[in-house]
Amino acid sequence: MYHNIPILLVAVPIFFAAITVFLRSRFKLQKALNTTVFAGLFIMSLALLLHVWENGIVVYEVGEWGKYGIILVADLLGSGMVVLSSFISMMAMIYGQDYMDKETALDTTFFPLFNIMVAGLNGIFLTGDLFNLFVFFEVLVMASCGLIVLTGRGDHTPMLYKIEAIFKYLVLNMFSIIVMLTAIASLYATVGTLNMADISVKLAQLSAAGTMPWHVYMIALMFIVVFGYKAAMFPLHFWLADVHPSAPAPIHAMLSGMVIKVGIYGILRIHYLIFPDVLFLTRPIILILSLVTIGVGAASAIGQYDLKRMLAYSSVSQIGYVLLGVGMGSVYTTTAALMYLVNHAMAKSMLFLATGETLYHAGTKDIRKMGGFIRTSPFLATIFLMGSMSIAGLPPMGGFIAKFVVFDSGLEAGFYAPVAIALLFAIFTLFYLFRTWMTIFWGELKEPENESDFIARSPTPQIKVALALLAVAVIFFGVYPEPLFALASEITAQLFDPQPYIDAVLGGQVR
Amino acid sequence: MNNTLLSITIALLFGIGTFMILRKDIIKIVLGMTILSHSANLLIFSSGITGGKTVPIITEEIAQHTTGIIFTDDLVNGILAPIVPEGTEMLFVDPMVQALTLTAIVISLATTSFLLILSYRVYKEHNTTDVSKVRRLRG
Repeated sequence: MYHNIPILLVAVPIFFAAITVFLRSRFKLQKALNTTVFAGLFIMSLALLLHVWENGIVVYEVGEWGKYGIILVADLLGSGMVVLSSFISMMAMIYGQDYMDKETALDTTFFPLFNIMVAGLNGIFLTGDLFNLFVFFEVLVMASCGLIVLTGRGDHTPMLYKIEAIFKYLVLNMFSIIVMLTAIASLYATVGTLNMADISVKLAQLSAAGTMPWHVYMIALMFIVVFGYKAAMFPLHFWLADVHPSAPAPIHAMLSGMVIKVGIYGILRIHYLIFPDVLFLTRPIILILSLVTIGVGAASAIGQYDLKRMLAYSSVSQIGYVLLGVGMGSVYTTTAALMYLVNHAMAKSMLFLATGETLYHAGTKDIRKMGGFIRTSPFLATIFLMGSMSIAGLPPMGGFIAKFVVFDSGLEAGFYAPVAIALLFAIFTLFYLFRTWMTIFWGELKEPENESDFIARSPTPQIKVALALLAVAVIFFGVYPEPLFALASEITAQLFDPQPYIDAVLGGQVR
Repeated sequence: MNNTLLSITIALLFGIGTFMILRKDIIKIVLGMTILSHSANLLIFSSGITGGKTVPIITEEIAQHTTGIIFTDDLVNGILAPIVPEGTEMLFVDPMVQALTLTAIVISLATTSFLLILSYRVYKEHNTTDVSKVRRLRG
């Protein structure tokens, strides 16, 4: 039974994407159906993770072609990421049903495209085939392009800007995809297989024989460009602040919460499994670029008055901390990076969902025109404060534990200067998030005569449920991080010793 | 011999594509993207064996006579499936690269048509195809 879950996690959303196209006019049914499907996906992914944790890696061979065909591999890293993405997409879906405009979004393309986006994400995290990874990247990108143009009630971005943002996103994505295709073609020409475990074995043999071709190093660096682009690493971060704020809030939460983590996943998967011999070259590059990313993101966020744009730059800064953990490269730092990834995904998507409601509540997206909303919406003030505390790294939120382990592991591994720089910009984070929170929620109400208007634009119960569940998760991982830490340590152990992964994939017989 | 020509062609196409996407006209950028993706497709195609004698459909009859070069890796002698040393006879063309190229072509077709629609919308909204004038979001 567990054997089939990996393919179901990809096939079920695609199937329901088709179904929801036909049910366009049946809005009530759509709502119930999609909530059920996303809850089902979350339960399935959780069952898969627990199964993998206890019984080892699950491999599903599509079409039973063995290592020559497409395979789906659920190891701890992949299934863990799927659980995270299922949880966040379930919350975004529950939230989006009340948030998105009915005529232009919910009745047309929101449900099908959201399903396809989730299928793309699950596919990326589960696939064991390099070319299949590229296909799922395209699925994800095309679906998210379609979702960015949709409008919601707190979304004050004109269509003109959205079109421009998508044009940039698509052109740059196409370029990164071409770089990825070139790298895949060169790798295929070198080792003659696309199966990641198989490539890993063959490159290890070449390396042991001392005949590793020099262009393998170039290929590893090209993959850094591709995944660095996806994760918004420093020289490739400029698109994020244009594209993400143009999206409506639930999509913004998905893009900043999950989609940029795809780049981190790619670096962890490809570089630890396929290119362990090139890590001596890639680690310092990631480390230096991550520090610049942290600095550039934090410095840009301080100067922003557009709430969504400020949080988008904050995402750039925060992804730098994850890359910092990856770049420092010891077992403990990688564990810390994974914990940071999970906590940032939860807190950031909660913050973005709360932001969407706040912008609707305020009727504008300029921070300077807001103020005193704690009186008209104490619920949003609480959620926003919890999100800010988690991102800034204050106890008892999850972000505190995450920042703590990143710095602690960095000091233990002897990276004093990088940790000092990261700590400095963590103070920047504290400053810009709390300045924003105080401007929006504290002080006098800016337009007291419109108070009843503000109160009328308050979150619906369904939106409150989604935000409250995310808040519970953020606090849970803050006060009881042991299970997450145990899982992250186990994942790191698998990353540093990929032999179980290789055995699980290549152990099967070809018919 | 033909490989050299193919490599030079691919390199030239990459160069032309890169030149085109650095222009300021939106349509030129889209065309440059198309050329770039097709040069990547050619690169994939060139990475497999194209000089085989027959199609890779292994019937009973052929299976008795084949040495199965494509499906066997002989790492000790430096034989990794698509790269076969000089003098080794190749029986089949590599079916994988053709499947990969087809997939990549279909994807780039979809992306290109989407890009063209987008550039039409950009032209309609801004009344220009000059990207330096389409800067509402300020980078």
